[in-house]
Amino acid sequence: MGKFAKEFAKGIILSNPVFVLALGLCPTLAISTSIDNALGMTLAVFIVLFFSNIIIALIRNYVPNITRIPIFIVIIATLVTAVNLIFHAYLPDTYEALGIFLPLIVVNCIILGRAEAFASKQSVVHSIADALGITVGFMTALLMISFIRQVLGTGNLTVFGVDFGSLPVLGEHPIAIFILPYGAFLVIGLLMGLFRRTGVMKSE
Amino acid sequence: MPAKSTLKNAFPIIMLTIVVAVCVSLLTYVDSCTREKISAQEDEAFKAMLTEMFPEMSRYEELKDDIYTVYSDGSQLGYAFLAIGKGYGGDINILVGLSEATTVKGIKIISQTETPGLGTRVTEPFFTDQFAGIAIEDIALSQDGGKIDAITSSTISSSAVVDAVRATAMEKIKQLEGGD
Repeated sequence: MGKFAKEFAKGIILSNPVFVLALGLCPTLAISTSIDNALGMTLAVFIVLFFSNIIIALIRNYVPNITRIPIFIVIIATLVTAVNLIFHAYLPDTYEALGIFLPLIVVNCIILGRAEAFASKQSVVHSIADALGITVGFMTALLMISFIRQVLGTGNLTVFGVDFGSLPVLGEHPIAIFILPYGAFLVIGLLMGLFRRTGVMKSE
Repeated sequence: MPAKSTLKNAFPIIMLTIVVAVCVSLLTYVDSCTREKISAQEDEAFKAMLTEMFPEMSRYEELKDDIYTVYSDGSQLGYAFLAIGKGYGGDINILVGLSEATTVKGIKIISQTETPGLGTRVTEPFFTDQFAGIAIEDIALSQDGGKIDAITSSTISSSAVVDAVRATAMEKIKQLEGGD
């Protein structure tokens, strides 16, 4: 397996950002209430992570060790703000759909985590592979959590306005706790435990 | 050599300054390129919301203090204004349309930060559609003798919207009557 493929694949299971690295839990908890939100957040993370990994890999040899964190933070914040403005001006529909997710990326430590742990040490090409892999891993985790929370918490499944029908008993009496923030902790904790117990994922 | 080591010590600071300077100029540039577009988009969005409420609308203008008068050709259709409700998770911004006879034409939630899946349902048509054609004095939750049904398990968000619409509408009507 080539190194590109290896760096891509590791983001999905071995270094899954949510279940293994436990990065980006704040936005994960906040938005994993529906499949729509999960996909919106994934798109926002992808755009910013892709560019931040490239830029940071490009300048990695000129970044002094002692001030690297402030430099990364300034670059990421600039990217988020610029993407926000550009989307607002030129892609208003996408901007509307992404809503809160773009600004939320600022508090998403996946971006800073990958800049620090990967892009600042690796080539541009491998950093792109890392960004892609981490995005897919993030999406997989978000989809699992949102699916469970949406189905149990609202009793039905709607994706982008397409109704997949509601469950017999849950449709009438959804378990609202799953939609609330503590439901998110519950689902993430149980899934993380399940993956560790079965050996699918190990902590780093 | 002291001069060399000073330069070496200053390098991280110089680098950080350069990065910040580049980023700030880049953002200033992006902001200046997008500012006009964004404000045009926002006007467009506001107009689209008004048109949804007043399908016959041809133009609108600001009367005073955030009260907008809506016209169809020559005739006046009604008024629109913004109301802010104190929700469970922060402010709920609501656009309220009023037809002449102190009846609500419709409402639209512009932005809110309610609990996802519960309070956020105030944005859905099944809730907002209830307001159309209701007289202002009847804008209250049905449990309080009004004509609006609260959303199950989101009473705080529901009553925040209802209270804001009623209170702001009464205030604006007073302003309209007193000011002319």
